[in-house]
Amino acid sequence: MKLIKDKVAKLSFVALLVTMTAAMFYTPTASAHGEKSQAAFMRMRTIHWFDLNWSKEEVAVNDTMSISGKFHVFEGWPETVDKPEVSFLNVGIPGPVFIRAGSWIGGQLVPRSVSLELGETYDFKVLLRARRPGEWHVHSMMNVQGGGPIIGPGKWVTITGSMSQFTNPLTTLTGDVIDLENYALDSILFWSGLWYAVGVAWLLYWVRRPLFIPRYLAVTSGKAASLISSGDKKVGLIFVVGTILCLGITMGTTNDKYPVTTPLQAGLMRGIKWIEIPAATVEVKVEDASYRVPGRAMQMSLVVTNNGDSPVRLGEFNTASVRFLDADVLEDESGYPDDLLAEEGLTVSDNSPLAPGETRSIEVTASDAAWEVYRLADLIYDPDSRFAGLLFFFDEDGNRQMVKVDAPLIPVFI
Amino acid sequence: MSASQSAVRSRAEAVAVSRTFDWMILFTLFTVVLGGYHIHYMLTGGDWDFWTDWKDRRLWVTVAPIVSITFPAAVQVMLWYRYRLPIGATLCVVALLLGEWINRYLNFWGWTYFPVNMVFPSNLIPGAIILDVVLLLGGSMTLTAVVGGLAWGLVFYPGNWPIIAPLHVPVEYNGMMFTLADLQGYHYVRTGTPEYIRMVEKGTLRTFGKDVAPVSAFFSGFVSIIIYFLWHFFGKWFNKTDFISGEDV
Repeated sequence: MKLIKDKVAKLSFVALLVTMTAAMFYTPTASAHGEKSQAAFMRMRTIHWFDLNWSKEEVAVNDTMSISGKFHVFEGWPETVDKPEVSFLNVGIPGPVFIRAGSWIGGQLVPRSVSLELGETYDFKVLLRARRPGEWHVHSMMNVQGGGPIIGPGKWVTITGSMSQFTNPLTTLTGDVIDLENYALDSILFWSGLWYAVGVAWLLYWVRRPLFIPRYLAVTSGKAASLISSGDKKVGLIFVVGTILCLGITMGTTNDKYPVTTPLQAGLMRGIKWIEIPAATVEVKVEDASYRVPGRAMQMSLVVTNNGDSPVRLGEFNTASVRFLDADVLEDESGYPDDLLAEEGLTVSDNSPLAPGETRSIEVTASDAAWEVYRLADLIYDPDSRFAGLLFFFDEDGNRQMVKVDAPLIPVFI
Repeated sequence: MSASQSAVRSRAEAVAVSRTFDWMILFTLFTVVLGGYHIHYMLTGGDWDFWTDWKDRRLWVTVAPIVSITFPAAVQVMLWYRYRLPIGATLCVVALLLGEWINRYLNFWGWTYFPVNMVFPSNLIPGAIILDVVLLLGGSMTLTAVVGGLAWGLVFYPGNWPIIAPLHVPVEYNGMMFTLADLQGYHYVRTGTPEYIRMVEKGTLRTFGKDVAPVSAFFSGFVSIIIYFLWHFFGKWFNKTDFISGEDV
């Protein structure tokens, strides 16, 4: 019996080792950026990204592409998330597969953090230059201090070519033309290597002699003083004087070589220009809203009043970067990511043109697997169970009006 | 061979065994310090040491020496009191830098493709040499803490300036001025490290105009003295042999 037990134990151990070793060879690419794991209310009630455009789907190393569009900073910003007073326009990519050649909000270059105003809509653009070949998921993203990254929609972009061809040329204000990709690398390696060699030399001076047992015995028998000779002290002095001299000389030569240097640049950028959008002439009141868990559908009862001078129809409901469209009113021609686009996901009980001055009660249903796939259905487990989003109304000439909705949401489980 | 018999039969054999033991212990000490010090420094110095656009003249100069004098102080105690070896600080720093270069090259460059000229580690060797030599010449932990600790903070910036100065050359980019280090931080996208996390050029040293690095270095040196004392006690405590039964060792 013991023999069998031992054999089982041995075999189990071998199986464990084999499994662990095999697991090491399975290294799938982690391509997503955690967008689905962010709390639903974070994505629904903070930054609403819309009109996004990825200028290319395939780009060669050294070539550029851009992500541009608009984002609305939601007035109903959740209490649990810090306000976007210190925010940074970022991109969600797996490391520097692109370099960020430029980023603008409202036409202003934003290399640093910015302060955003609640309730305002901004246009933005991020210019990227391809660096590392591969297929990458490229997201717009807004980092908010105290709130975390608020990720926008992502689209797959392919970079072709070879990374060894990548260069990052710049001209400094002192007139030097450099390649930032490997600029000053020789000097970094030289100085780091030189000082490392000095450190190793100091160690070698001591470790070439008997170390632990004889020295320990000498110390414990009261002969510690005999372990340090005057020669050792002289060598120590040479090292320390050499170090200090070297520091002084290299400071001087470095300042001669780089007479113009400036401190790192930092600071919050305020006064970012937002888009002046005329007040919407369509008024929407949410009577009630519910999320049908089995049907993966959100239903809203809306009272819509058209105070404008032309008839309008509801074409789109946009929340957490998922776009639910009424195909009769709006067709996407921007190449928006398929997984975030429900082309026929919006159903309106009566979507005939709403005449000027008319008020109508309608039932709106936004249904698509995206509720589940993007884990938006999890909003029923949020501590502040509300939904929010943007409704887009269109007149017959294609003019668009954006109306924000923000209301409590009741889950329906049966 | 009985338990009372010696394991070696001649003096030459004893010397050989002793040297083998030396290398084994040295290797073990080196790798243990490499691991422990590296983790400690990454957790406490972290981004200031990782990225060139964090290496400013105020906080980097202040923080990096303060958090890095820890292990050198503790290991110096052990190697000095037990073996009269004035190599504790240098051993720690050489181990740390080896680990850091491996990490920066294999992980930061090899895995995530950040250029090495953006992610190289700070140079701590000059301070370590001074710390060890002060201990060698003075033979006093107090003197080492005060003189060596202060020097540790003071020499940090000069020891790194030849390495980072080229990256502080200004450049005009899209109508704004950057240093090349700033531009590295902007160009090479760090999704999880937004710009506002960067703690640089913050503080109230405005009275000193542009010459804040020496003031920061002095402050760092003073705090390094205190941290040296503190970690020297940790080192002493960690070196106790109370767990060995019988006579005091």
